[in-house]
Amino acid sequence: MTSGYIGVSVERDDLAFLDGTACYVADVDREGQLYARVVRSPVAHARILDIDVAEALAQPGVVAVITAADIPETRIPIRLPMAETPYTHLFLQPPLAREVVRYVGEPVAVVVASDPYLAEDAAELVDVDFDELDVVSDILSATTQGTPLVHAEAGTNIVATVPLGYGDVEAAFARADVVIRDRLRMHRHTAVPMETRGLLAEMDHGTGVLTLWGAAKVKHFTRSALSSMLGIERHRIRLVENHVGGGFGVRGEPYPEDFLVAFLALRLGRPIKWIEDRAEHFVATNHAREQEHDLEIAATADGRLLAFRDRAWCDQGAYVRSQGILPALLPALHLPGPYRWEAFSVETRGVLTNRTPVGTYRGPGMTEATFVRERMLDKLAAELRLDPAELRRRNLIRPGELPFSFEPAPITYESGDFPAGFEHLLDEVGYDDLCKQRQVRRASGEHVGIGFAAYTEIGAIGPFEEARIVPRSDGRFVVHVGVASLGQGVETVLGQIAAEKLGVPMDAVSIDHHDTEKLADGFGAFASRSTTLAGNAVALAAEDLRAKAAARLDVPAGEIRFVQGQVREPSGRTIPLAEVGEGRGRFDKPHPTFSFGAALSLVSIDRETGLVKVLRHAVLHDVGRAVNPELLRRQLAGAASQGIGAALLEELLYDEYGQPQSTIMADYRMPTVEELPDIEVIVEERPNTANPLGVKGGGESGMVGTPAAIANAVADALGVEGARVWRLPLTPDRVREMLRHH
Amino acid sequence: MPHVDQHLSGDWLEADESVRIRLVANDQELPVEAPPRCTLADALRDNGLKGTRLGCEQGSCGACTVLLDGRPVRSCLMLAVQAEGGRLETVEGLAAGGELHALQRAFHDHGALQCGFCTSGFLMLAAGLLREEPDAGRERIREVLSANLCRCTGGGPILQAVLAAQRELRGGRG
Ligand code: FES
Ligand code: FES
Repeated sequence: MTSGYIGVSVERDDLAFLDGTACYVADVDREGQLYARVVRSPVAHARILDIDVAEALAQPGVVAVITAADIPETRIPIRLPMAETPYTHLFLQPPLAREVVRYVGEPVAVVVASDPYLAEDAAELVDVDFDELDVVSDILSATTQGTPLVHAEAGTNIVATVPLGYGDVEAAFARADVVIRDRLRMHRHTAVPMETRGLLAEMDHGTGVLTLWGAAKVKHFTRSALSSMLGIERHRIRLVENHVGGGFGVRGEPYPEDFLVAFLALRLGRPIKWIEDRAEHFVATNHAREQEHDLEIAATADGRLLAFRDRAWCDQGAYVRSQGILPALLPALHLPGPYRWEAFSVETRGVLTNRTPVGTYRGPGMTEATFVRERMLDKLAAELRLDPAELRRRNLIRPGELPFSFEPAPITYESGDFPAGFEHLLDEVGYDDLCKQRQVRRASGEHVGIGFAAYTEIGAIGPFEEARIVPRSDGRFVVHVGVASLGQGVETVLGQIAAEKLGVPMDAVSIDHHDTEKLADGFGAFASRSTTLAGNAVALAAEDLRAKAAARLDVPAGEIRFVQGQVREPSGRTIPLAEVGEGRGRFDKPHPTFSFGAALSLVSIDRETGLVKVLRHAVLHDVGRAVNPELLRRQLAGAASQGIGAALLEELLYDEYGQPQSTIMADYRMPTVEELPDIEVIVEERPNTANPLGVKGGGESGMVGTPAAIANAVADALGVEGARVWRLPLTPDRVREMLRHH
Repeated sequence: MPHVDQHLSGDWLEADESVRIRLVANDQELPVEAPPRCTLADALRDNGLKGTRLGCEQGSCGACTVLLDGRPVRSCLMLAVQAEGGRLETVEGLAAGGELHALQRAFHDHGALQCGFCTSGFLMLAAGLLREEPDAGRERIREVLSANLCRCTGGGPILQAVLAAQRELRGGRG
């Protein structure tokens, strides 16, 4: 029995955001709280000779100053087994630098004071004596002979090498009519959510429980990490999620500050509040994406892709953080994309530099790999004098070939219809018409170009999620899940699934994802997994509850109804719902799902200034099944907006001394409504056969093809000079440079 | 405790010495005690008006936008003492008598928010604009909205929402 909520664009309850009552972590206060301010390294690489905290400690309002000497020897662990290697422990980050600082922004000390302004004043007075060391300021110099070592004890700047292979590459290259090779670089940029990070920790001396507000994304893992780092039992740590001002992959991983704030609350016995400021955010919160690829593609004269070889250097920054080697692993998994290669060999390398550590940002690895591959495919199309759409058409894996596996590489496509998806995008935007328009506008002297990208996206990564549905005596149901809300509207989506599966109105269901106390385990909100993993777990918990209720009345599960706190069967017999207990569900997902998407962009370039304007931008994604189409469309459009920023504006630059050049928003330009077109979103629904709800996830996909499509469109607009588009962002300076040769 | 005026020509204050500052927010007296260097945003937030958000404290994001005498200001860049004697409006005062403002309804209807962190600032920016320039054209509205940042939506849906609210407000005027 269903009440028809799945697939409906149920409106989200967003009143608290509209009237200002939403409560983000900065809005939480506890009696007697103190304020922490982190003292950060101003240099990229140095030995710490001495830290003098005396003057800071003597300032009014200052309660404590701690350095590495005051905390246990501990490091932030890696969250996913697949992202660990036997060597990664050599590069993990301590909460406060010990002996050596390795990037500008690395925490060196913490000042605690009665007022945030005073804490900030005193932090300026912590006097650190540095002996500066040579710096690795770029990924390519990280592996050259005689380069300085970021972690001297490890003896290398290479964190990991990820080799992936499929088929006989040498044989395929030997048969090629055309081989093209180039270097392509994706630049350093990151999520920059509007709310910075923040934490508030308080020890309840009565219960012995430490509460941490401001958690997000992977609360249960952060709790385990803190438990082992602080040496207190897991059940004595409670993480609470407040309203969250955007996550996009960077918020909610365990960071040095999570440990420090919790540690100080225990040490000082008073609540400790820390709100990151924006300048800190730019050096402290994970960066993302920077990598350079050396890619070689072999094809036949009639445009059949044969094989590719890729070698890549992927920046990890100065430490391996909680996401381990994902910065090198995820691009490798996404390089083949949706095409029928006969063979490939990939070797990505995670390398260290003296810069802010790198984590995952919306569409991680896939966005970089898609840019690299799709840019090269356009070069190949130019070489073969083939319409770039036609080149892709000839090589997309056909539905009859699914499931398709690149074994031994761990890449399997289960379901979908890639060619149909691609044509759908071209039809929807009117590709042929667009080509004609381009002709006309070019004839009148304009620089306009069309570009697209097709890709596969990993999603719905396991291992599992659990859900509990607890009926209350007033007839309502509380659903406990372990994923997080980061502004995506996941509450609404999970509420729809629960209501439909329970057969009750939506307002009888509330979703609780805020608290680690309510659910023993959970893996969190990443890799577009919430709807698939938690959604299916909720569906199973609802079925479990129905089955239990039906068993009590001795009827089939399909026949009962939940009405006003009662379980009722068709002949009218009832029992109180409270007697049934609770429904439990667990959804296991050993293999990730890959889904298909594509993007298309139409741009124009101003000849004088080099300014790129995006005239149209469309993204398509096969989400399997859209539980709430409208919320999903908004996610996709938002992700595409960020992708446009990445392609044209945003860059985290460093100088040769490892000094960051973008530490204020004025230097890190993000797109506003002035720079963005209305994003066209096309949602395809080709149900996933691998889970009961049929969903595939897609909150990141608007991002994945966007930088590639924009880069290809700009290259197209530049004509022959377009071949020189090899890196992003395509700022006016860079574009003007290329135009000059026109 | 002295009022801030008493120090204008007098002694230096210590960094953490508080003074009395008289603010008026949403037509109500908001007596504040804070050091003179306290920003307007912090003064509002420390005195119960937490709907004003801080996204950068660098004047770039606009999350902290409030109206001072009807004009949008970045409350992170202004000291509380500078707002003395002026009329402040914050997101908490937008809904009148329990009824949501046309802008609030339009933001809901057009998906103009996801995480909501930028919302207070955008609402106040747009409220100031539509009151000051009720007939502003689409391009003018777009230009004004580009003063603030929304990382989740990119801002397109916010523009749609403001245009819709403007239509409604003009319709209401007859
Ligand atoms: S917080 Fe004031 S402009 Fe960003
Ligand atoms: S809704 Fe999240 S920043 Fe605008």
